Amino acid sequence: MAVTRDAAAASQTLGTNAAERWRQIRGRLGPWAPVLVLIALCIIVGLINPSFLSVRNMARIANSAAIPLILGLGVTFVIIMGSIDLSMEGVVAFGAVVLSLLVLNGANTYDLGVLAAFIVLMSGAAIGFLNGIIHVGFRIPSFMATLGMWFVGVGVANAILGGVTVRVMDQGIRALALERFLGMPFAVWLALAALLVAYVIQNHTRLGRYMYAIGGGEDLASLSGINVKRCRIAIFTIAGAFYGLGGIIAAAQQGAGFALIGQGRLFTTITAVIVGGTALMGGKGGVLQTLVGVLIVMVLSNGMVLMGISPYVQQIVQGVMIIVAVALSVDRTRLGVVK
Amino acid sequence: MSRLPNQWSNKAGRRQFLQGSAAAGAGFLAASLPGRVLGQDKVTVVNSIRSLSNPYHASWNQGGEAFANWAGADYATLVTEGNSEKGIADIKAMIAKTGGNMVLNVDPNESPDARPIVEACAEAGVYVTTQWNKPADLHPWDFDPHYVSHISFDGKPNGKAMAEALFAAMGGSGGIVALGGILSNVPAIERKAGLDAALAENPNIELLDFQVANWDPNKAYDITSAWVTRFGDQIKGVWAANDGMGISALEVLRAEGMAGNVPVTGIDGIQLAVEAVMAGEFAGTVAWDPFWQGGMGLSIPYHAKTGEFDPAAEPQDHREFYGSGIVITADNAEEFYETNIKSSPELDFADIWGRVSGQIQYE
Repeated sequence: MAVTRDAAAASQTLGTNAAERWRQIRGRLGPWAPVLVLIALCIIVGLINPSFLSVRNMARIANSAAIPLILGLGVTFVIIMGSIDLSMEGVVAFGAVVLSLLVLNGANTYDLGVLAAFIVLMSGAAIGFLNGIIHVGFRIPSFMATLGMWFVGVGVANAILGGVTVRVMDQGIRALALERFLGMPFAVWLALAALLVAYVIQNHTRLGRYMYAIGGGEDLASLSGINVKRCRIAIFTIAGAFYGLGGIIAAAQQGAGFALIGQGRLFTTITAVIVGGTALMGGKGGVLQTLVGVLIVMVLSNGMVLMGISPYVQQIVQGVMIIVAVALSVDRTRLGVVK
Repeated sequence: MSRLPNQWSNKAGRRQFLQGSAAAGAGFLAASLPGRVLGQDKVTVVNSIRSLSNPYHASWNQGGEAFANWAGADYATLVTEGNSEKGIADIKAMIAKTGGNMVLNVDPNESPDARPIVEACAEAGVYVTTQWNKPADLHPWDFDPHYVSHISFDGKPNGKAMAEALFAAMGGSGGIVALGGILSNVPAIERKAGLDAALAENPNIELLDFQVANWDPNKAYDITSAWVTRFGDQIKGVWAANDGMGISALEVLRAEGMAGNVPVTGIDGIQLAVEAVMAGEFAGTVAWDPFWQGGMGLSIPYHAKTGEFDPAAEPQDHREFYGSGIVITADNAEEFYETNIKSSPELDFADIWGRVSGQIQYE
């Protein structure tokens, strides 16, 4: 009898040890899981279709990743802060439409060139600022405030254009998509520059540190003297500027501005941010993780076409990938409640 | 399973729902303003459509305005924003407001919506035309005389015509890739069937790959990028189930230095596509002429209301018919551009049966 009980106790201890070890492994591996997923994906797709690894294809994936990355940078900041920003499709639509009407185009006689791009950046920041003011000033949850702004953005774009598509003829803007430097379209270099800026803000400014502090625990941050409201507004403003930049590149790639140019981008972007390992609860993650997440999503969609996977199956694969990536990257053993 | 002509905005159901509820307030306000002011003696001609956010329905709306001018009637536009409940509720509100002194041209949000709309109209004595979406077992002659006609467009012959234009531009042989619409969408299925039929007749053409881009230009862009990697120079042509996706594919080809050498076809006849045909980058597109749909869809029930003809006495192929798409290729693109895009098209609104091209067939 005693022996049996001992054996049971021993096996229980063993089980706890194994679980503990697994947790440690996962704790160390967790942050790297998205990178491993990315590498594994590249190897699998590359084995099935070697042209995946060609320089030209890498340039194409980078080109497709440029917009989700730029949008992802903005929303990563907001998510780290523990809020959410759904307004990107509205800002992209508004920005692309305004840009297409202010540069040399097929609808009117404006030809502001680079100045137009600057105006779009500033109006993106202004919409983000408005998001922040509505969220903080009127104490409206960021989900609702930015959801509203999404529709306002698309709605204004609609109202301006009345459903028409405006061709962008400004060669400088088109060059972002059509001209290359070191084999990569200019849009990719612009996205990398944006990544650098975001990285500096995140790691080398006070705002960056405050952002994590607020996401980790707003009460504590507030008690330690951080002006939480001002930080929130600043982060939303920066995010808006990134979306504006996304709108500029979207118009450059499509060669046109239209009200639905932002369509579907929110889902791709948020997926990429979460897959990269930024936690929706806030306080954890960063722009480099978002870069990895964007690359995973883009390699997967590019790879599925390269591997000849039936369109009927592609959506299933995408859904499964999201669940797997999150399961790998989030340490759920410490989560008390999952809702 | 809806028969949606609008390829730009049927993606996220949740988003549409939210957009719909956001717009509902504004819609109600708009719908409740003019009638009271202008009085009830004038007929109100009403278009009910999905939204004004795409070139297709914007042109539809212009056709409606042009008809209202022609007939000297009041004009109103109702938008569903992809929300069936809003669509039906707005129509009922409009009937109540005009006291039934109106005619309706409706592109129902989803097929099942057509029945309650038609029933409400028949009850109030409103003459109505439906387009694109209705249940297969609902027929205009079930609601004589108020349910005047149902108009649709057959995607198959037009999908086939575009495939043939593409093959011709390619010189009759080589590989193509094809971008489809939403898998369960009737126009997407019909247009793909047309492509398949053309492929069966042209054994020298190889379909390298078919992908579904959900009518979404952004998705079409990424898929086409991946195709260029996978097939490279094997791609001699791109067939797209609508212009929005085709234009995106063209922009990818342009970035790869292949635009103009690899012909593309679309369907819908939007301005950018017609311009691309003129530039020799598109091999063709099909214009549904939404201006005609928006105008003639009102003219038909209007003429029934004014007693010009008795719907019950019309043959079935005037009650449930396919309209005619206009196939645009290099031969007629210039002319189409001048008459339909640069200026508003001139339509003879009295010629109500001029574009009937056969009774709708249900399988």
